[in-house]
Amino acid sequence: MTPPVLRGVAVVALAISLPVVPLSAQTLRIGLASEASSADPHFHNLGPNNQLRRSVFESLVDNDEAQQLSPLLAESWEPIDENRWQFNLRTDVKFSDGSPFDAYDVIYTVCRIPGVPDSPSLLTTYTKAIMDFEVPDPHTLIVHTDGPYPLLPTEFSTFGIISAKANGVDGAAIDFSPDGCGDLNYPATQAFNDTSAAIGTGPFLMESYRRGESVVLVRNPDYWGEPAAWERVTLLPLTSAGPRVAALIAGDVDLVENPPLQDLDRLNADSTLRVVQGISNRVIYIHLDHELVPSPMIRNTDGVNPLQDIRVREALSIAINRDAIVARIMGGVAVAAGELLPPGMFGAHEEGDLPPNAFDADRAKALLAEAGYPNGFGITLGTPNDRYINDAQVSQAVAQMWTQIGVETDIDASTASTFFSRRNAQEFSAYLAGWGAGTGEMSSPLKALLATFDRDRGFGGTNAGRYSNPAMDDVLTEALRTVDDDARQELLRKASRMAMEDFAIIPLHYEVSPWAMKATIDYTPRADQYTLPYRVRAAQ
Amino acid sequence: MSMTAPPAPAPISNDPGRAWRIARPLAGIAVFGSLALLFGGVDVGVFALRVVLLVGLVVLAAALLQGKTRKFFSGPAAYMATFSLFVLVVLAIFATEISPQNPYDLRQLSIMDGRLPPGSTTFDGSMTFHLGTDEQGRDILSGILYGLRISLSVSIIATLIAMLIGVVVGIYAAWAGGRIEAVLMRIVDFQLSFPSILVALMLMAAFGRGLDKIVIALIIVQWAYYARTVRGTALSETRKEYIDAARGLGLPSWRIIFRHLLPNCVPPLIVISTVQVANTIVLESSLSFLGVGVPITQPSLGLLIANGYGYMLSGQYWMSMYPGLALLAIVASINLVGDRLRDTLNPRLTR
Repeated sequence: MTPPVLRGVAVVALAISLPVVPLSAQTLRIGLASEASSADPHFHNLGPNNQLRRSVFESLVDNDEAQQLSPLLAESWEPIDENRWQFNLRTDVKFSDGSPFDAYDVIYTVCRIPGVPDSPSLLTTYTKAIMDFEVPDPHTLIVHTDGPYPLLPTEFSTFGIISAKANGVDGAAIDFSPDGCGDLNYPATQAFNDTSAAIGTGPFLMESYRRGESVVLVRNPDYWGEPAAWERVTLLPLTSAGPRVAALIAGDVDLVENPPLQDLDRLNADSTLRVVQGISNRVIYIHLDHELVPSPMIRNTDGVNPLQDIRVREALSIAINRDAIVARIMGGVAVAAGELLPPGMFGAHEEGDLPPNAFDADRAKALLAEAGYPNGFGITLGTPNDRYINDAQVSQAVAQMWTQIGVETDIDASTASTFFSRRNAQEFSAYLAGWGAGTGEMSSPLKALLATFDRDRGFGGTNAGRYSNPAMDDVLTEALRTVDDDARQELLRKASRMAMEDFAIIPLHYEVSPWAMKATIDYTPRADQYTLPYRVRAAQ
Repeated sequence: MSMTAPPAPAPISNDPGRAWRIARPLAGIAVFGSLALLFGGVDVGVFALRVVLLVGLVVLAAALLQGKTRKFFSGPAAYMATFSLFVLVVLAIFATEISPQNPYDLRQLSIMDGRLPPGSTTFDGSMTFHLGTDEQGRDILSGILYGLRISLSVSIIATLIAMLIGVVVGIYAAWAGGRIEAVLMRIVDFQLSFPSILVALMLMAAFGRGLDKIVIALIIVQWAYYARTVRGTALSETRKEYIDAARGLGLPSWRIIFRHLLPNCVPPLIVISTVQVANTIVLESSLSFLGVGVPITQPSLGLLIANGYGYMLSGQYWMSMYPGLALLAIVASINLVGDRLRDTLNPRLTR
């Protein structure tokens, strides 16, 4: 132990140094709304886990606040032909155990991802396009894909790299194949959780990971880039909104994510606090049943599914006063949506090019009458009540607006786990849900929500309304194999417009995610809603 | 749950008089029938049905207190509680006529009227929100009146049915004795060993939301109280001379049970059921508050409180506070009336 005298000296030194360097500038405490299920970067493909791993395990490619790609462990990348991408890796990077970073660590990481034991959901969605690797020199990596694969750099931003050498593996000897890499030694998930395997290249080292209690990060002194502003970061899971805000007000934490909308006015009024908010990549939408006849939750239509009629879908969309929902239910902290990704992101239309459907109740009634439902019909809207911001309240507002044009609407609200399993079993005729575009581009929502359901191709995985439009599928497929960014962007916009003009889905609004913090620090809001400690900085 | 002691003198000799003998079952049928009809999907707007319900309730209450009114109204608390209970029941029954808005009709709501403080008016001034509105633009006053109706009717129906089941099981156990009694009472013990809120939560999670489902859940968590009470009372009654006498006369079992045993088990049942109605209201409100009770477009008191709860910190107190006060008033007055009833009907205190 430290001798008492030394400790005394330390205290005095600290006291003297206090006015110069405020203690708070060295430690950062963050109140998180949701907790990572493991410290293993490849264990669980879940927002909080991916957020945590970024501080410790870096990926080849980074993405910024608006999810545009930027260099990280790879300095640059380019397609060299139809089936190959070349990544030029940084040469000055070392893992926290001192071993140098090279292309073999990437191969080792990709080898580990499909085989993490007991994983609730693997990161393989991001690696399955990789067919083979070539390593012309240790800091050049050539990736083979099956056909043109424009999303490859985006996929390489989603998983963190672990060290082969630190785990006793000779990277050059790995025989990579998409089906497996033979018998290699991998660290166990438990070794990450007790931090013994937490060897990454990131700006922070993991000091401790205690589930349900805290995660402590300390500054990586040998970080290759600009060192983190904080000596020590404590991440506290405060999953209940009230206590999270109370902890900030009481000064127990310096920054919280997702303060509840109801409290924003109060937080804004406090001059010692700062609230920042930014549009997220998550759209809240209502999906309609295009397939089942009769549809399970539709009444008074003699067994017909009215949602198959485009006029009814348009009526339902324009019956919704999105501005009113944004203003009254979301407290202004949301943006009305005209498609599935906000303006400014890849594949989305420019502001105003594809505006939200304008509210017009009279025209909605006329359209219903034209479609043969002058007296409307009955429908039940399914909704989760604890997944998205004010989800059940938004559903009630939609029910109000639909009922006012004659579509008698009931609400079936349930907790998220129940809701999603019922949704996947196609129990709803209409349901409210949200989609966050993890890759930050339009192909993500279109492929998941609107492409014709096809399990083998991985299309329409969340298309529980079973919308199908072969013409749009073709444009989307074309976009997914177009490597040229400008051409791909145009194709994605075209596909999005086709779906929106067919009223395939009813986008409501984009969530805006708020952060609240002490006025002495600052954070730039991110579209992916991540709270990244190394991006938190002292206020100017 | 306190067990009421068996009545020492058999109150069977207490003949209420011919008029009451006819009025009591009639009122009982009226109450049960109209509640069943209202629940069975008959339009709640049928005015006559609700008048029948109210008259039936009043006659039942009068019959219960017949000859004991002075004892019942022995202090100001009894008057106040009875009065406020009566007012709240009338408000609940005639909510359709009294409330300025039908909070369950989505056509009448507009989110543009959401979260208005008490005393605000609608945009065109056609209606004043005396207690403010919640975030969906529901008038809190109307919400409370309709919520009272839901809370009261759900609890009364659930209590009545639970009582019916409990009485049948309890009497059967006491009469049959032996192994049947042991098995039935162990089931009761098992059920009572779980907190009712926990059981109800699990049931609602399995059933999903809905008025019918919450009634079923409340019945399941309650019947055991009645079964245990009735069995206790019935056991001590069966050892009394008048039952022996009835047996000696060669009367059939059903006649002894229904005409001799059952009427003497009623007083403790009435006391328990009044207290249980209050408990059931609280239980239903808790379930709705936790998000597993009534459908969200038809809020009861508990759901109204839950809806406004998130706005307490931001100073919009009216969304939670007024429904909370209404809940407090109804539960307190039922409990006070129940207390008085216990004192009035408990023969031990007569001596």
